[in-house]
Amino acid sequence: MTDPEGTTVTTPLLEVTDLAISFSHPRPAVRSVSVTVDEGEVVALVGESGSGKSMTARAVIGLLPDGAKATGSVRLRGEELLGLPEPELIRYRGRRVAMVFQEPQTALNPVRTIGWQIGEALRAHGGVRGKAARARAVDLLREVEIPDPEERLGYYPHQLSGGQKQRVVLALALANEPELLLADEPTTALDVTVQAEILALLRRIRDRTGTSILIITHNMGVVAHLADRVVVLRQGEVVEEAATRDLFADPRHAYTRQLLAAVPRLPGPDERVHAVTDDDVPAVAADAVAALEYDDVRVHYGSRMRGRVLPAVDGVTLRLERGQVLGLVGESGSGKTTLGRLAAGLVPLAGGSVRVGGEDLVRARGQRRVDLRRRLAFVHQDPEASLDPRFSIAEAIREPLDVHAVGSRKDRDVRVTELLDAVRLPASFARRRPRELSGGQRQRVALARALTLDPELLIADEPTSALDVSVQAEVLELFADLQQRLGFACVFISHDLAVVNKVADQVAVLRAGRVVESGSAARVFGAPTHDYTRQLLAAVPVPDPTVRDATGPALREQHIAS
Amino acid sequence: MSESLIDVAAPEATHPDDQFDTRRRPGLWTALRRGKGLAGLILIGAVVALGLLGPLLAPHGPTEQIPGANLVGPSGAHWLGTDEVNRDILSRTLYGIRTDLLVVFLAVPIGAAIGILVGLVSSWWTFTDVLAQRLFDLVLAFPTLILAIGLTAFVGPGLRTVFFVIVAVELPVFGRLTRTSVRTVREMPYVEAAHVVGAGSLWQLRRHVLPNSLEPLLVQLAVSMSVAVFIEGAMSFLGLGVRPPQPSLGSLIRDGVRNMYDAPFFAVGPLAVVVALVLGLLLVSQALAEARRA
Amino acid sequence: MGHYLLRRLPSALVVLAIASFGIFALVRMVPGDPVSSLAGPDATPEARAAIRADLGLDQPLVTQYVHWLGRLAHGDFGTSYRIGGQVKDLVADGAVNTIVLTVTALLLAAIVALVASVLAVVLDNRWVNAALSFGNTLAIALPTFVTGLVLILLFAVVFPVLPAGGTPPDGFLARPDIAAQYLLLPAVCLALGAGAALTRFLTEALRTELRQPYVTTARALGIPRRRIVLTQALRNALPSAVTVLGIQFGTLLGGAVLVEAIFTWPGLGGLIEEAISGRDYPLVQVLLLLSVVVFVAIQLLTDVIHAWLDPRVRIGGAS
Repeated sequence: MTDPEGTTVTTPLLEVTDLAISFSHPRPAVRSVSVTVDEGEVVALVGESGSGKSMTARAVIGLLPDGAKATGSVRLRGEELLGLPEPELIRYRGRRVAMVFQEPQTALNPVRTIGWQIGEALRAHGGVRGKAARARAVDLLREVEIPDPEERLGYYPHQLSGGQKQRVVLALALANEPELLLADEPTTALDVTVQAEILALLRRIRDRTGTSILIITHNMGVVAHLADRVVVLRQGEVVEEAATRDLFADPRHAYTRQLLAAVPRLPGPDERVHAVTDDDVPAVAADAVAALEYDDVRVHYGSRMRGRVLPAVDGVTLRLERGQVLGLVGESGSGKTTLGRLAAGLVPLAGGSVRVGGEDLVRARGQRRVDLRRRLAFVHQDPEASLDPRFSIAEAIREPLDVHAVGSRKDRDVRVTELLDAVRLPASFARRRPRELSGGQRQRVALARALTLDPELLIADEPTSALDVSVQAEVLELFADLQQRLGFACVFISHDLAVVNKVADQVAVLRAGRVVESGSAARVFGAPTHDYTRQLLAAVPVPDPTVRDATGPALREQHIAS
Repeated sequence: MSESLIDVAAPEATHPDDQFDTRRRPGLWTALRRGKGLAGLILIGAVVALGLLGPLLAPHGPTEQIPGANLVGPSGAHWLGTDEVNRDILSRTLYGIRTDLLVVFLAVPIGAAIGILVGLVSSWWTFTDVLAQRLFDLVLAFPTLILAIGLTAFVGPGLRTVFFVIVAVELPVFGRLTRTSVRTVREMPYVEAAHVVGAGSLWQLRRHVLPNSLEPLLVQLAVSMSVAVFIEGAMSFLGLGVRPPQPSLGSLIRDGVRNMYDAPFFAVGPLAVVVALVLGLLLVSQALAEARRA
Repeated sequence: MGHYLLRRLPSALVVLAIASFGIFALVRMVPGDPVSSLAGPDATPEARAAIRADLGLDQPLVTQYVHWLGRLAHGDFGTSYRIGGQVKDLVADGAVNTIVLTVTALLLAAIVALVASVLAVVLDNRWVNAALSFGNTLAIALPTFVTGLVLILLFAVVFPVLPAGGTPPDGFLARPDIAAQYLLLPAVCLALGAGAALTRFLTEALRTELRQPYVTTARALGIPRRRIVLTQALRNALPSAVTVLGIQFGTLLGGAVLVEAIFTWPGLGGLIEEAISGRDYPLVQVLLLLSVVVFVAIQLLTDVIHAWLDPRVRIGGAS
C-alpha cells in the first residue's frame, strides 16, 4: 500500500481542485491549486515562502485566517468540505483529517497536562472517557515512542524537550485515528537529529496505520526522505507534480530545477571515499598572527548567587587564520552562537582568552577597545530585527562611519553607494526603510553595513537561516564572492551543515559547549572521525530519494530515544 | 512575500519585492484624523477652546457676587444658574476649566518628563535600575488617592498640592514604562548592532533606544492626562485641592453636591465638562493604542 | 509553593520596615504641632512641656519609633489626640465598613468582567463588541464622583427607591435585605471603574490567547471554539487576570475614600481625612501603616496565586 500506482482507487482520499484563496490584499495567497492524496500515500507540497502551501493545507481543514476567502473544491472521499459551516467542519477535524504544526514549543497548551490534552482530543469526538481514555492516552504516547508514557501523562509541556513535544502533538493528531494527516513543516523548528527521528516516526506511522500524509515543507531533503509524490508550488500555483523519484531525477519545470540546484549539499557517500586530511589546509607560518584565537575559553550562564551555573562554553581552543572562513556547527545548546558573540565582545568571559588580531578584546579598555571594535563586524540571524526600523538604508549603512567620524559627510555617502553596489542593490534603495525591503534584501544591507569599515573579522550568526533556499543561495554566493575579494576572515555559525560546507575552509563541530571535532571542511565532512559528527551528518536528510531506500531508515533507527 | 527569483538574471531589476509593501506604516498621528481619535480630539479641542477663551466668554467674573441672584436656576441671564453666594456658575465653570488645563497640560508633562529621564538613566546600570524599580513599585503600590491624601497631610491643601501629587504619581508611571520600553528596545538586535560597531551608550540611547521607545509613552501621556482630571476633581471634591474662592471643576462639583437637593442643576455644567475632557483624552489614547497595535 | 512564598517574604518585610519608619518619620516632620493644637494658643510653657512629655515627643526619633513598634506588637495602637478613644477601636469600626464595601465591589467587578468578557469572546458578534466597548469607555471615562452623583440623583432624588447614603442602621447581618439596599449604590459606584478595566483586560487577554498556536491545535482536533474558550483560553488568561485584580483591589481601596465621602459611608476614608486635617499623629500613623500592610499583602498574595496558577513557575525547569 506504500505504492500509489499499485492500488486501484476510483476516488482519491483527498481531492483539492482549483483552490483559490484571497484576502483583502490585491494579490491572492493561492491562485489555483489542485492536489490529490490517495489512500496511504505521502504527498509533499513544496514551495518557498509566499507559495501558498500552508494556506492550502489550512483550507482543507477549514482553518483559514479571518478574512480569507476560498473558492474551488476540497473533497474528502468525495464529500465537499469547502464552505461547510463550522459545526459541520468540527466533525471532520481531528476525526478524519488531523493537522500537525511547525512550532512544537507553542502548539501545546502550557497550563494543561499532556494527559488532559489527549483526553480533550478524545472527548471532542465523543470517544472513550475515564479509565479507558487514560489507557488510550498511554497507547497513543507509546505509538509516538515516548518513554514512560504513564508518567508523562501528568507532565506539563514545558517539562518535555522539543522533539518530545512534537511527538505529543502527533499523538493528539492520531488520537481519533484520522484518515489524513496534514503536517505543516513538522520538523523545521527541530534540531537535525531530532528531525531525523520525527521523519522516521512519520514513516512508521504511515506504514503501521495506513494514514495518508500531506506534508508541507520547504526542505527538499525532507521531501526526498518521506514523500511518494511531490507537488511544487510557486506563488499560489502548481508548477510541477511528479512521483518523488522522477522529480529528483528529471525535473521538468525550470523553477523545480532551480529550486533543486539552490539546495546546498553535503558530499555524498561516494564522494567521501577519497578521504582528505587536514594537511590540505595551506600551511601558515607558525609566528603569523591569527585573525581570531580562542584559548581555553569558558562562558557560564545562570547566576552564581542562585547556585545554578551552567557552562555554555566549556574549554574551547580554536584558531582562525587571516582570510579564512571558520564554520561553527552544532545543534541548539551546543554553544556555537555564544562563541560567535564572544568574539564580538557581547558575552562576558568566565575563563581563558579571546584574541582578535593578536589583541585581547575582552580585557581591552577605552580607546583601544573602540579601535579593536572597528576591526570586526557582526551579521545577525534576523535581518528584520537587526536594522533600526526608523533608519533609512543609507543611514543604517553609514552608521559605523558616523560613530567613528570617518571622513566627511560626502565621503560617507560615496561609501554607502559603493557598498550598495557591492551587495548588488540599486543605489535608489538608499532612501528606503527596512520594512520596504524583502528578507534577502535586508540581509544584503546588513552585510553592506558590516563591511562599511573594512573589517578584518566578520562574525556571521546564522546569516541565511531566515531566508528561502533560493535567496539563501544568492546571499551565500554574494558572501563568498565578497570574502574572496576583500579577504576578511570570518566566523560562520550555522546549524545547517550543508551551508557551512559551502562557505567554510575550516570547521569546528560543537556539542554541549565543547569542540567535538575540528579541521578542514573537506576533511570533517568527507571523513569524520568522531561518532557525533557522523551522527549529525547521517541525520541530515539528503535531497536524493535513492539514498533513503539504500541507507536511510536503518541508520536512523540507532538514535531514537533521546 | 515572494522571493523566488533565481530565474531572473538581475535580481534588483524585476524583483517582485519592488511592488511589495512600499507603503510606509501610517504614522501614529493619522489615527487622530479619523473615528475615535478625531472624536476625542474634537472633545478636547472644545474644552481647551472654552478654557482659553474663558475670560472673553464669561459674562461675570469668577468671584463676582451678583445682587439678588441666589441659587437661581438656569435662565437667559445665567445659563447655568447661580450658586449660594450669588456667583454665576457658567463664569466660574469657564474659569475652572483653566485650572484643570493647567494641571493637565503642565503638571502631567512635567511629571512625565522627569519620569522618562529617571527611567532612562536608571535603567542603564543594574544597580540604579533595581533601586529605581523598588522605589517605583513602592509608590505605585499606593492607590493615587491615598497618596494624594498622604501628601496633603504634609503640604496642606491647595492647587500646588494637586500639582505636586500629579507629578509624584506620574513620575513612577512614566519611569517604569520607560524602563520596560527601553529594556525591550535595548534587546533588539539593531541596538546590539550599533554596540558592535563601537557606538557608545549615549549614542545607542539617543539614536536608537529613545526614538523607538517613544510610542508607548505617547499613549500613556493621554491616559495620564485623563487621570489628572480625575485626580484634580477627586482632591478638590474631598477638600484637598484648590481652595475657595478659586474655581476648579472638582470644587464646583463639590459645591454642587452640597446644594444637590435645593439646586440639582448646579453640577450639570462642570460635570459635562469633566466628562467631555476625560472622554476626549481616553478616546485619543485608545485610538493611539490601536494604531500602534495595527 | 511554600518555598515560593518564602522567597518573596523577605523583600516584603523589608518594604514594610522601610515604609513604617518612613511614615513614622514623615508624620513627625509635618508642619503644625499637635501640642499647640491640643493645649490651645495661650497655654503656659510648663503645660506645653507636660503635654510633650506625656506624648513621648521629647525622646529621640528612633527611640520613639522603637517604642511605637513595641506597643504595636502588643496590640496597643495608642489613643487618638483629637477624636478621643482608642485608635484600635476607631480603626476597627471603620475597617469593617470599608472592607464590606470594597470586597462587595471587587466581587461585583470580577463577576461582571468574567461574564462580559467570556460572552464577548464566545459570541464574537460585531454589535455585542461595539456595545461592550462603548459601555466600557464610558465607565472608565466617568470619574467616581460623577457616577456617584448621577446614581444618587437618579435613585435617591428623582426616583427615591434607595437610600442616598449611610450604613444600614442594624448592621450588615441582622437584616441582609436592608443591608443590601444600603450597599447597592456605593458598591456599584465603586465597582464601575474597576469592572470596566477588568473587562477590558480580560477580553483582550482572551483574544490574545485565542490567537495562540495551541488554540489552532485544539481547533484542528475538532474541539468547539466555545469549549476552547472555557477550558483552555480562560485558564491561560487567569494568572495575569489575578495580577490585574490585585492592582484593581488597591485602586478600589483608594476609590473607597471618595465613595465613602459621597455616600456618607463611615469607613476608613473619612477617618483618614479627619485624622490628617486634625493632625492626629497616632491615628494617621496607624492608618498609613495599615494601608502599606494591605498593599504589600495584596501584592504578595497575587504573586503567590499567579505562581500557583502557572505550572511553569510552580513546577519549573524543563527536563
